[in-house]
Amino acid sequence: MRISPARRAAIERTSVTLLVVVSAAMIIAGKADQVAFQYLRNSVMDAAAPALDMLSRPAAAFDAAADRLRGFITVYRDNVRLAEENERLLGWQQVAMRLSAENAELRDLAKLVPDPAISFVTARAIGDSGGAYARNVIVNAGRDNGVARGQAAMTGVGLVGRVAEVGSRAARILLITDLNSRVPVVVDGTRQRAILAGDNSARPSLRYVDSGGTIRIGDRIATSGQGGVFPPGLPVGVVATVDSEGARVEPYAALSRVDYLRLVDYGLAESLPNPLAISARAGKRAESAVGGPPTLRR
Amino acid sequence: MINVLPIATTVLAALLSIEPLHLDSYAVLTPAFTLMATYHWTIYRPDFLPAPSLFLIGTIQDLLSGGLPGETAVTLLLARAIVLPQRHYLVAQPFPFIWAGFTLLTGGAILFSWALHSLLAEELLDLRGPVLRTVLTISAFPIASFLLGRSQRALIGAD
Repeated sequence: MRISPARRAAIERTSVTLLVVVSAAMIIAGKADQVAFQYLRNSVMDAAAPALDMLSRPAAAFDAAADRLRGFITVYRDNVRLAEENERLLGWQQVAMRLSAENAELRDLAKLVPDPAISFVTARAIGDSGGAYARNVIVNAGRDNGVARGQAAMTGVGLVGRVAEVGSRAARILLITDLNSRVPVVVDGTRQRAILAGDNSARPSLRYVDSGGTIRIGDRIATSGQGGVFPPGLPVGVVATVDSEGARVEPYAALSRVDYLRLVDYGLAESLPNPLAISARAGKRAESAVGGPPTLRR
Repeated sequence: MINVLPIATTVLAALLSIEPLHLDSYAVLTPAFTLMATYHWTIYRPDFLPAPSLFLIGTIQDLLSGGLPGETAVTLLLARAIVLPQRHYLVAQPFPFIWAGFTLLTGGAILFSWALHSLLAEELLDLRGPVLRTVLTISAFPIASFLLGRSQRALIGAD
């Protein structure tokens, strides 16, 4: 059956108008209620994970090859540097061993309850938010691999963000630079607390700084553990600028090009508000409060 | 085969736009690949990339990127509504004209997105990222257009 051009144009107009209205409604609903689309987002993320994983391999392989090439070129210089560093670290190892022994003794004396067992999952970033107005990455590990909401996402050097949404085989990490990210932090070595607030720029800002103290460029920032989402003492970054509007922090981790991430479970994940019964939460906390070395789940 | 090509390539564009490329700040500046595919196919084969497919692909891209759901869908649908009446004129034009048309469309689309986010954030957001993104999108269009045109011709030959 042939549809007349006039009829076709009318159908086109109606359908486009209708769909634009639906999309606009989605924008408003999505802005008003961030959770409303969570289920949909998780399902789409799970469904697309294998395709994203495959598509991200060439870039990852290229990156690895470039790294190797760079390694060949700088092998001599690296070797000299590493030998020096090794020497220095051996000295630190002695210090660490002495402190560790002393710490154990003091904990014993003080009858301190051991920290919960730490376990982690290593995951690869397979998706990067393709927009100027959000900062998050998708990683190729999900609930099936032991990832849970609220876990800390780290690189070797510092905090990257937290697990915000979990599908069965993929998870979304909200970076500390995202507009919606708020992390309670403390200036290392002091008791000065603040909130590290992302604003989509490369350097999140310090807000609600305790009055009375001053923040200087070069101050190291770590998580304070307040609010219970992150454990205290995770390295975050250094203060890079201080001006009349406040201080900004340069994260240790290279957030603009995240590659492999460690999703660390400190046994605190259940303290994020979610629809879990209080009694169930308390039970789980007691259960996970067993000391031990970090275990690799994957 | 030719009738699934427009949808398939636009879906691929949506997935590509959230691929991490391990480049500094690439996530912020990722070219608007879906807009390229939408523009190309709306000129050459709008019947095989109908409005509902644009709505679905745009929505999927927004859900995956963690952005505002509906934003890309609105952008792609408006792009179609603007380009479709001009396609009989555009289809006969040499490539520089098509490219110029895309330049206007991209400028409009990215300005729209910036205005929308500024409105929702209730402050004027930084324009540097969006401007760079516009430049990258416009610069990448000839490559995308070439690849899409080649795949289109290859499949016409195969059918």
